[in-house]
Amino acid sequence: MSVTDVLPLLVVVLLLIGASGADPDAMHVVFEGARDADAVVAGGATDPIVVAGGTVTVPANATVGSPVYVIGGTAVVEGTVDAEVTVLAGNLSVLDDAAITGDLRSFGGTTTVAARASVPRRTTVDVAPRERTLAERLGFLAMQALALAALAFLLARRAPDALATVGDAMTGHALVSGVVGALAGVTLLVGFVAMAFTVVLVPVSVLGVVGELLVLLYALAAAGARLGRALPIDRPDVAAAAGAALLVVALDLLDAIPVVGALATLTVVSVGFGAVLVTYFGWQAFEPADIPG
Amino acid sequence: MRLWTFLRDREWSTLAGYALFVALMTAGYYYNITFVQLGLIDLGTRLVGLPETTVSLWMGVLALCTFAAAVATGVAMDRRGWSTNLRTKLRLLLAVVCVQFVLTVVAPHVRTAPGFGAWILAGSAALGVGFPVSFALAIDTIPVPDRGYVAAAITAITYGLANAIPLDWNVVVFSQLMTVAMAPGIVVLGVLASGRVDAVERVLDDLEAQQDAFGRGRFNHPDPVRTRSLAFVAPLVLMFGVFFVDSLGFLRIIETPTLLLTSWQSPQLSTRLLIAGAHVVGAAAAGVLYVNFSRNAVFLWIFALFALSHVLYTTELRLAAVFPTTAGTPSLLNPLLYAVAVSFYTTMNFALWPDLATVDTIGTHSALGIGLAGWVATFASTAVALYLAHAEVTLLTHLNLVNALALLLLFGLAVGAYAKRMHAIARSKRGPRDADRVPEDSAGSAAEGER
Repeated sequence: MSVTDVLPLLVVVLLLIGASGADPDAMHVVFEGARDADAVVAGGATDPIVVAGGTVTVPANATVGSPVYVIGGTAVVEGTVDAEVTVLAGNLSVLDDAAITGDLRSFGGTTTVAARASVPRRTTVDVAPRERTLAERLGFLAMQALALAALAFLLARRAPDALATVGDAMTGHALVSGVVGALAGVTLLVGFVAMAFTVVLVPVSVLGVVGELLVLLYALAAAGARLGRALPIDRPDVAAAAGAALLVVALDLLDAIPVVGALATLTVVSVGFGAVLVTYFGWQAFEPADIPG
Repeated sequence: MRLWTFLRDREWSTLAGYALFVALMTAGYYYNITFVQLGLIDLGTRLVGLPETTVSLWMGVLALCTFAAAVATGVAMDRRGWSTNLRTKLRLLLAVVCVQFVLTVVAPHVRTAPGFGAWILAGSAALGVGFPVSFALAIDTIPVPDRGYVAAAITAITYGLANAIPLDWNVVVFSQLMTVAMAPGIVVLGVLASGRVDAVERVLDDLEAQQDAFGRGRFNHPDPVRTRSLAFVAPLVLMFGVFFVDSLGFLRIIETPTLLLTSWQSPQLSTRLLIAGAHVVGAAAAGVLYVNFSRNAVFLWIFALFALSHVLYTTELRLAAVFPTTAGTPSLLNPLLYAVAVSFYTTMNFALWPDLATVDTIGTHSALGIGLAGWVATFASTAVALYLAHAEVTLLTHLNLVNALALLLLFGLAVGAYAKRMHAIARSKRGPRDADRVPEDSAGSAAEGER
């Protein structure tokens, strides 16, 4: 397993350990092989154990005082864990006659608890998206459409020129906008993830991702407003709102077609993101370099 | 893109010019990045039995001799008018390819150090003559607005093929492939240079007549770029920096089996195809950016991409130091980003030098540009890499150094561009009398906003 594969979860674990008041430096991470938990932490220490790969076993008749975090691989509890166990990914098996005295929290992966195991406090958070009913889907779609329409309406009233400039760049310079959007979007995202790996820069990383999402929202509102200009509606703000709602519905419908839907969404997102950047958020119309000849 | 207009108007001669330029540049660059850069190292170390340090020194000699031969050729081309004579350029190119063909056939049979040295000297002479001549074909074949896209096509095809076709980095394999590929190329060049086929002659006449329209590069307005002006030296220095950063980092990466065998030399075809895809995407993006933005904007992207990819490499190495069991499985994201960065600057390289030249300077500017920025930077980075290896610098420290250099160039360029803009604004505020006293280079820069 590549370190970058488990790194996002490792960062989460670091934050959890930090939040619990324990020392993140003291944690022991197992990436491969079969190890006994009491061998991972020496002499009954309570240093956190992170299972990122391989198999870590708490042997029968043994008691481990360390909190255990499972983010990959397999953890098998045959004895007693006298602390919390958190499963983010990977597998946890609590066998018969085994015990976990602290909380057992499962956010992902597979958790199997045998009937005769003792786990007094168990929480399972289902983070996987469950299948929505048709009514729920339509409701969610309507909510998204309304939210973007409201944003487009507001922007069309407050900054109509900026919105129009971004929209014009999307249609007039779609290729350039798409290239800049895709390139900037990917590199910024990679950069923010790299910042998160340093742990110290996690707040900057989170802010950056939030900033990217806000730019994206603005871009989608501008795309909607551009679409609205083609609708037979006189009031520009209402047209922008209608266009934005239409865009959300159109993208959702396209999403039903495999590959095409994803490509369409990716294209709109890239072109929109790039158009916002090349027009300085709509402050200045994009002019390509002048090449004589 | 002008290509579509030519297609619509069925201007076959012009279209043939596009095809000729792309084919020649792609073949030449593929030969360079495979046979010259990888095959010669294999020849020197494995077949001749020289120590790696000695081979690296010989590669340095190759770089310097190529530079010298290129400058001599480029200057001679401009002074004697060969730059503007398409048939002379084709004949020179035919001679170069013939010499390279013989050298390529002979290479796997070289077994002695003097033989290896002689091969290097002959090879550098052929390379040195070849690249200013082939770059000078741009003034006959490629309209200025399309140079970014054409450069992108050359880069995409070359790196796409080099990565998608699973070849061992072995001089014998390279020699066999190149021999097969060069033979028909020699025939085609022979027909083009013969002057005996009427249809070909008409096409060549048409292409040569295009020099008036295609001959003045993008950055030569309103005044031509002079060789000793800042307008030429600044991109030269930046390109030197790009080649240096790439070469210094890559030399160490390919010496690290874990990094190499999980990327460029991976036994998995899917991995190589992904890298090839990244090269193609990177080249296409660079082409679009080159055509639509200022030169400095593209340079900023290049340095930013190199800095980011080295940040990722060093981050992974630091993590691997903390968690040693992960050291054997590096992420594929790093070589993918690296491939995009390489495609960016390669595209820039193919478009930049013809765009910094006119019909009167294409030989000299191409020779100085590729020679100094490409070959001498490679020589310098090889020397530094050898020094770092001799000093037993770790992989992490080495890549950290490269990363620092990329960041330094990134911020240096950003600050420099900002200061230049500030200077232009200040000068415009001072009024026309003061502005008249501003040196010619700076005035040209302000006028075009590119230089």
